[in-house]
Amino acid sequence: MRWLRKLLSGKAKNEAAELANDRLDISQREAIERRLPLERSLEDNLDAIRTVVGPSKDLMIRQLKVGQGQIGTAVLHLEGLSDSSLVENIIRTLGLGTFQTPVGSASKRDIFDEFKQRLLQSSEGREVNTLDEVWDGLVNGNSAVIFDGTPKALICATQGFKTRAIEEPSAETVIRGPREGFIESISTNIALLRRRIKSPNLWVESFILGHLTRTDVAIAYIKGLASEELVQEVRQRVSRIQIDGIIESGDIENFIEDNPFAVSPLVFRTERVDRAVSMLLEGRVCIVTDGTPFVLVVPMSLPMLLQAPDDYYEKLPIGAFLRVLRHVAFTSSILLPGTYVAVLEFHQELLPTQLLLRITAAKEGVPFPVVSEVFMMELLFELLREAGIRLPRAIGPAVTIVGALVLGEAAIRAGLVSAPVVIIVALTAIASFTVPTFSFGIAARLTRFIFIILGGTFGLFGVQFGILVLVLLLASLRSFGYPFLSPMAPLVVRDLKDLYCRAWRWYMDTRPLLEGAREPVRQAKGQMPRPGIEKEETEKPGRGIGGKWRRRR
Amino acid sequence: MAAEKIANRQLLFMLFMMRTTVVVATLPVLTTGAAAQDAWASAMITLVATLVIVLVIGSLGVRFPDLTVVEYSQKLLGRFVGAAVSLGFLWLFLHIAATDVRIYAEVLDAGFLPQTPLAFMAATMVATSALAVYLGIETIGRAADALVGFFSLFVIMNLVVGLKSFDPRNLQPVLARGVRPVLSGAVTPTAIAAQFLSLSMLIPTTVAPRKAAASAALAVALSGLVLIVSAVVVVGVLGPNLGSNSIFPLLKVARSTVLTRFLERLEAPGMVAWGFGLFIDVSVFLYSGARGLSQLLGLEDYRVLVAPMAVIWVILAIHAYQDMFEVLRLFKPNVIFPYITLVVLIPYALLWGAYVIRALLGKPPRCAGRR
Repeated sequence: MRWLRKLLSGKAKNEAAELANDRLDISQREAIERRLPLERSLEDNLDAIRTVVGPSKDLMIRQLKVGQGQIGTAVLHLEGLSDSSLVENIIRTLGLGTFQTPVGSASKRDIFDEFKQRLLQSSEGREVNTLDEVWDGLVNGNSAVIFDGTPKALICATQGFKTRAIEEPSAETVIRGPREGFIESISTNIALLRRRIKSPNLWVESFILGHLTRTDVAIAYIKGLASEELVQEVRQRVSRIQIDGIIESGDIENFIEDNPFAVSPLVFRTERVDRAVSMLLEGRVCIVTDGTPFVLVVPMSLPMLLQAPDDYYEKLPIGAFLRVLRHVAFTSSILLPGTYVAVLEFHQELLPTQLLLRITAAKEGVPFPVVSEVFMMELLFELLREAGIRLPRAIGPAVTIVGALVLGEAAIRAGLVSAPVVIIVALTAIASFTVPTFSFGIAARLTRFIFIILGGTFGLFGVQFGILVLVLLLASLRSFGYPFLSPMAPLVVRDLKDLYCRAWRWYMDTRPLLEGAREPVRQAKGQMPRPGIEKEETEKPGRGIGGKWRRRR
Repeated sequence: MAAEKIANRQLLFMLFMMRTTVVVATLPVLTTGAAAQDAWASAMITLVATLVIVLVIGSLGVRFPDLTVVEYSQKLLGRFVGAAVSLGFLWLFLHIAATDVRIYAEVLDAGFLPQTPLAFMAATMVATSALAVYLGIETIGRAADALVGFFSLFVIMNLVVGLKSFDPRNLQPVLARGVRPVLSGAVTPTAIAAQFLSLSMLIPTTVAPRKAAASAALAVALSGLVLIVSAVVVVGVLGPNLGSNSIFPLLKVARSTVLTRFLERLEAPGMVAWGFGLFIDVSVFLYSGARGLSQLLGLEDYRVLVAPMAVIWVILAIHAYQDMFEVLRLFKPNVIFPYITLVVLIPYALLWGAYVIRALLGKPPRCAGRR
């Protein structure tokens, strides 16, 4: 038996030595690394690790002797990923053990078990058998303890890497509402979700994607609320991804969305914890990716893109008004320039005479047709917007001001564009910024160019066909099998309460029909605040879901 | 491929938009043609007669909840006669839709884009609908869901703006010329209700096929209401003579209304409503035609037929008629009534007869599909 094992281990050692060969490509290296087992001899193991890692300086190997100086031990950790005081703790524990372990009376395996027990008292950990698993533990900030004579290692939790502080996300700001946003660490992000949904039924499933980046990806959902088919579909689509690396959740989005040709996003992304939580409560599934503050939410529908968190936190009339305003702004950000072009080029008779005269007077002397005017100004605006984002923060606003004020003013003065066009373009730009989801605002702007061309070539007729085709294409879209336009199409009358204008929170007692089908009732009915509620309580105690809480008052 | 299903609500919306589109576009003139100021009475008779037609079509359809008319006509009448009858229906889909497209293109050409060739507008409309049909009946249903709100809003706007110059004296004298012109005025709109033949193709795609006839009847009732109201508005605003002489009276109502100095010439909403409705209309006809033909030919998927049929559609829309007046000639009671009788009424009499005889003989045809 022994010679056989020696033979096998000898072979493995040769494999580890093979890694020293510079001609090995990454896939060959990975294939070998995956096969490497832990050896009995400590020196062999350390050699193997050194060969795998190469000259990387951040790998710390602390060697010491335990068991009254008999047994060689090594503690490995990566500098910067682990908390050094926790590593010290492990080393101290190992040192204490030496006095109590009698020499020679026990086999080396017993010593390993003894240390395992001892170490796990002070920190959590697990036992692993291969070099690959040891490395996995190390890159996640853990420490590995390897003993001479045992082909195993102990992974002890010592994570302590630096992350950004939790801040308010800059792309999704609110006037009223929590200021917490997700950050780049997946464990913090999941903790943020947990802090807000304390039920144990918030389930988190983990995946590792990317054979080089080995990025942690988790899907979070409320068990029993999210449809099992949906969770299964998400699980399947995420685990199907085979890629070298995941850098941002956008990479995942590309792999899992239903229709790669759609301009509109089909997977919702948010940096805000409160939005993610509210969507989990509707029965949706979150996909959290390590290394990015953007959490994906599926399935998505169009109205979600136009809902801002403030709508719900503000009082109803304000929230509802803002929501309606946003819908109007969004629609006009797509249609306004195209319609303007169509009316001026083809249907001047539709304009009231006075208005037409003013516009014609302003256009006097402008050498371009209305289409090119609008097209030019829209392109100019896109240019400014992009420049404003890319430039360093300090000069970004300056460029925007120079572009908007100076260029616009100069263009009118020079008689290159007419003032109404500038008004229209500025109006559409402002309107498109009211869309709470930035990427959707861009999608709307892209569509706008198509409408300008349609309006310029075929008039309102073209605009109308643009609308028809747009509705048709949007209606054919699905996000994880759920219709994208729901609750507009298919029309769900019950869910219109949260579409164009939101209802009172006590009135929104049902979840969205399709997404929350497993548990449609969200809260007890009839919670409208009214005087004398206490008195009524005694007559009809404990009605509905809220009964228990109301009785306690 | 999983069977595509639409909700009964979507069926209702589709039929409502199809029917109301015809109302917005042309019906008032057809009604007022003979009945003059009593157009509203014709409209009421039309409503009742249309209800009867829809129930005749629908209630036979719900007896075969999994089959389209193309399939069950062959079961009831035998392969040959059934196929002949179905071909008649398919022709009618083609013809009605082509006529609708032609009328729409004519209006756009006359009122909005005088320099654009008719073929272009017809082709655009049919191409959009072909895209819809290609995406499937579910998508058409969802598009109907999304559009029906705006459609109704625009139609109501069109009717409401007319009320400003509404003159009730135009409606007098009531029923002065007797019942005969009223009846003859109702013939054409009732005959155009042959468009509800598409119901017999849509029933098997609904979620609850047995309730489809009720949905259709509701659609008829709603659009009949629009018809009555618009007949009253057109006559009240334009007067019986101008009302019957203009080709597109409801649009004329909108155009002739001046709400304030700033709000005038409000026919754009009417045109948009018409465009939306016609889109659903043509999509449903194209779907019905392609699906029916594919079943007749024994094809797996109707989608291969969509593109060639769309081309034929456009050609027919352009070349079937010399001008608008030839289209209107088709709508004369003494032309359209025998036509519809031949293509719809007689076949349905045969179908019902065969069904009743078989039921009496105690061997009702079994439904072959699932369930």
